[in-house]
Amino acid sequence: MSSDPLLSRPSSVRSATRAGISCRGVSAGYLGSRVLEDISFDIDEPAVYVVLGPNGAGKTTLFRTLAGILRPYEGEVLVGGERIDVQASRDHLHYLSHMDGIPDGLTVREALRFYARVERAELDDVDRVLRLLDIEPMAGRYLAQLSAGQRKRVSIARVFLHEREIYLLDEPTANLDPKLSREIRELILSLSHEKIVLYSSHNLFEAREIGRYVIAIKGGRLALFDRIENLRGEHYVIGIRVLDPGTPAALSDFTRQGDYYLRELPGPESVPGLLRELDAQGVRVREAREMSNPLEDLFA
Amino acid sequence: MASEPLPSLLRTTIRRSFIVGRVNLVVATGASLVWGTLLSLTSGGAFASLFPLLLPVLGTIGTAGPMLVFTNDRTKGVFEYLIAYGVPTHRIFVNVLAAALTMVGVVDGLTLAVALSLRAALGLAVPLAFTEALLGYSLPMSFGATALTTAAGMYWTSLSSPRTGMNSPLGLLPMLGIAPGGLALVAAEGAGPGVRIYVLIGAVAVVVVLATVLLLLESRLMPRERLLSPA
Repeated sequence: MSSDPLLSRPSSVRSATRAGISCRGVSAGYLGSRVLEDISFDIDEPAVYVVLGPNGAGKTTLFRTLAGILRPYEGEVLVGGERIDVQASRDHLHYLSHMDGIPDGLTVREALRFYARVERAELDDVDRVLRLLDIEPMAGRYLAQLSAGQRKRVSIARVFLHEREIYLLDEPTANLDPKLSREIRELILSLSHEKIVLYSSHNLFEAREIGRYVIAIKGGRLALFDRIENLRGEHYVIGIRVLDPGTPAALSDFTRQGDYYLRELPGPESVPGLLRELDAQGVRVREAREMSNPLEDLFA
Repeated sequence: MASEPLPSLLRTTIRRSFIVGRVNLVVATGASLVWGTLLSLTSGGAFASLFPLLLPVLGTIGTAGPMLVFTNDRTKGVFEYLIAYGVPTHRIFVNVLAAALTMVGVVDGLTLAVALSLRAALGLAVPLAFTEALLGYSLPMSFGATALTTAAGMYWTSLSSPRTGMNSPLGLLPMLGIAPGGLALVAAEGAGPGVRIYVLIGAVAVVVVLATVLLLLESRLMPRERLLSPA
């Protein structure tokens, strides 16, 4: 993927104003069947908001409702203070579905031109995102000839055609190899300095790496909306890799998992004390890392 | 902030329909041209009676492309993408319908052009009965049957889990498409010469009315949720 900063900005910007997104008592679903119940939150700070929840919790339905694809049965979604069914509100949003959204019968370049027209972006930006996402070599190939990962890359490319204020990204790194996933995460992270990014993923490592806030959905209801740093797991587990295990008794309270010695602690504040204790017993620590992820508890 | 107008996606839909449905289009156009050529070489009676009856049947076979585009776009999340950016479901529906009508127009147009040119080159006259049947039956039946089957296919697709087998619109569409023309052909052959034209015009009227009813019910039969891929 190109790191040329000149390539990273589109030639036009949709909106100079910063728009927030609000969900006010929203209940929504499909053909009368409710999936979401009474969801409310307000977002106006640029950051990555990770949307988490078990399968079937309603994450995709939430994204579709925020994007104005599904009309709420109750409540309203406001973007920049206006209801989402107003076109001016939609113009603040980029939406990336968990599906590719790739139109068959077009080449990669034609598909991006198609997206550019739908999003009212400049056609010149097509070449820029072809380079940005490293898909220039496949620009002339038909989309049906691409692998799932390549199609996903094309799908992601379109959200960089045009700057908007709010990005709704439903599982953007699914089907991508680790290298490209990391690059996409970096792009999203750089976006979030100025933009609001709602991002769903089943990858908790990824969620913790780039998220500042977590929005947890359980059973169609908002279970949690908080800063990720405020989350405390039920169990805090530290993993130690050592150069020298010291005295035989030094690591007797630990359990072994691969190269790591694991121990449950009351919280991160206990880590310095533990390290001093190990040092006193002659243990030379090579690495200490948190092994538990408080986001896991949101899936329990 | 004033929004820019939504772009028309009709040309892209038509182009994609031609690419995705090229096999059906080639088969239908080829069959239509063969029949058109053979009947052009016959006497005026056979040309005037059989050619107008076959034209709608063969024409509608070539219109599977837009339905393929519709089914693929629904399954792959293209529609939810379009709706998110403000494209109304009505426009999606109309674009697919217009693409299907364009394709049947191409098959019919090519066939007629070849058949009539051939007759002219051979110095054979075009019977008045042929022109009457063409204008009174062939063309309205071609476009009416295509509109009917495309609309029915879109509703059917939106109600079902899209598959490409015989139990989906994509497998059955050619048969749905030729049904009105085929039934009219059988009924016309069974009717006496005096009432034949009335049978054909009646068949056209039924198809056009049914197609119009389906088109008018679009907002009721196709809510947004029906166009979304599985969550």
